[in-house]
Amino acid sequence: MSRIRVLLAKEWRESVRNKMILFGAILLPLFMVGAALVMVYQGRGIEVSAAQIALFNTALMYFLILPAIIPLAIAAYSIIGEKEQGSLEPLLATPISDLELFLGKALASVIPAIAITWASFGIFIGICILLLGGLPPHVLTPPWIAAIFGLTPLLSLFSVGVTMLVSSRASDARAAYQISSFAVIPAIVPLIVYTSRKTLVSLWLIGLEGIVLVVAGAVVLYFAIKVFQRDQVITRWK
Amino acid sequence: MIRTEGLTRKFGELTAVSDLTIEVEKGEVFGFLGPNGAGKTTTIRMLAALIAPTGGSATVAGFRLGEENRSIRRSVGVLTETPGLYKRLSALDNLLFFAKLYGVDSPEKQAERYLRLFELWDRRDRPAGSLSKGMRQKLAIVRALLHEPQVLFLDEPTAGLDPEAAMVVRDLIETLRSKERTIFLCTHNLDEAERLCDRVALFKTRMVAVGKPRELKERMYGRRTVVRLADPSTGIEQALDLPFIKKIERRDDSLVISLNDPEKENPILVKRLVELGAKVQFVGELEVPLEDIYLDLMEGEDVSD
Repeated sequence: MSRIRVLLAKEWRESVRNKMILFGAILLPLFMVGAALVMVYQGRGIEVSAAQIALFNTALMYFLILPAIIPLAIAAYSIIGEKEQGSLEPLLATPISDLELFLGKALASVIPAIAITWASFGIFIGICILLLGGLPPHVLTPPWIAAIFGLTPLLSLFSVGVTMLVSSRASDARAAYQISSFAVIPAIVPLIVYTSRKTLVSLWLIGLEGIVLVVAGAVVLYFAIKVFQRDQVITRWK
Repeated sequence: MIRTEGLTRKFGELTAVSDLTIEVEKGEVFGFLGPNGAGKTTTIRMLAALIAPTGGSATVAGFRLGEENRSIRRSVGVLTETPGLYKRLSALDNLLFFAKLYGVDSPEKQAERYLRLFELWDRRDRPAGSLSKGMRQKLAIVRALLHEPQVLFLDEPTAGLDPEAAMVVRDLIETLRSKERTIFLCTHNLDEAERLCDRVALFKTRMVAVGKPRELKERMYGRRTVVRLADPSTGIEQALDLPFIKKIERRDDSLVISLNDPEKENPILVKRLVELGAKVQFVGELEVPLEDIYLDLMEGEDVSD
């Protein structure tokens, strides 16, 4: 566990010195919070209708895009950065186990993604209360809470697993980021489809999305762990 | 300290390392020489428990490869072909990260000790990426030494360094030898290998030859005495009729004479030359560079099976 902590500290120290990661971790959440606020602001005055539901569902979706997107840059730069700097081999020469290495790399992306998503959501709620004098209806409901607190970790894990797989075969962080971005889209398709429907997001949908993510995440992480074997990393990674 | 028995690594159909059997003693500097693609780096990777062999067995620092890999990694230090530093992190942060991964007691003190020793302390807060090539290489060596490994694998430690930085690295290897560290040195620099290594192995997928540089020379060419003459008259080599002489060659104004026991035979040889009227100017042993042996032995060897 202590080696994972050491690796996490190093990953984050490197990340805060990487402008690409830093901007992505700050600007994207700010943009999403702003967009969600606009949706809720526009929907607050109108009666419950298809339009209001669509606006609120879209606002929620913005917060679920964050945990899928934020880990992409961190994981891609973390893995490909090691390749570019030639630091993977010295790292693998230490007593760190394959699992510790995998967990350290994965958590270095998952933890900030979850923390930033939840913090963004908190800021969104705070601004809603301050500007609108209270929360509009249908915002802090059980489906929203289940989505924000239940789906966020699952989306992050899935996203990290995909990026790790892609990064093992890529030699350019930007290319890995772009490929991974396309690869994680299927995970949020059900939510995107739902935003166009005329019913409020439900616990049933969130549960279904959760099951899809658990299965897809397990498959992706299984292969990612296999790819993170020392022998594979040294001999097969490009 | 390192013992291998038939160590082999194949990548599909390609054999990178074939049937390697060596023993490296504690405190020995062992040179591992061979051309590009000979399997030197693959050998280091196997011995450092980074990749698994596909055949054979090995023990490193007393631990069995494949069964005690983590213990092996704790006991060895590896300097890879490229320094492989985290360029955005400071020199000190690079070292602290590795010291903590190796579980070094007082990582800060240990990092400071080595940074001072290598005259990098003043640059400890600079990003590793901003250091000169020589400094980066020194920092990478420090990283490999931080946890005081019993065995050190050095892959081309002076490659790309200016002569001054290369000398610092060579001095360091000498210092480590004096501290009984076992060093497995891969290098293309044959002069460096000759100067530093107790024994060298010439390797090209399989072992071609192994021994002390002097032994290899003697095995290849025997011992040869060079006699420079002031008046290289023709025919003196024909007149030189001593029974212990194995071969005589003329090279310009010198005679190159192959002998079995120069210490005993040289005085007799010189006496006979003087008797024959030769004016002997210099007598010495013919030094064959390791490079000649390397080129002769490697000639005709296939890189892979």
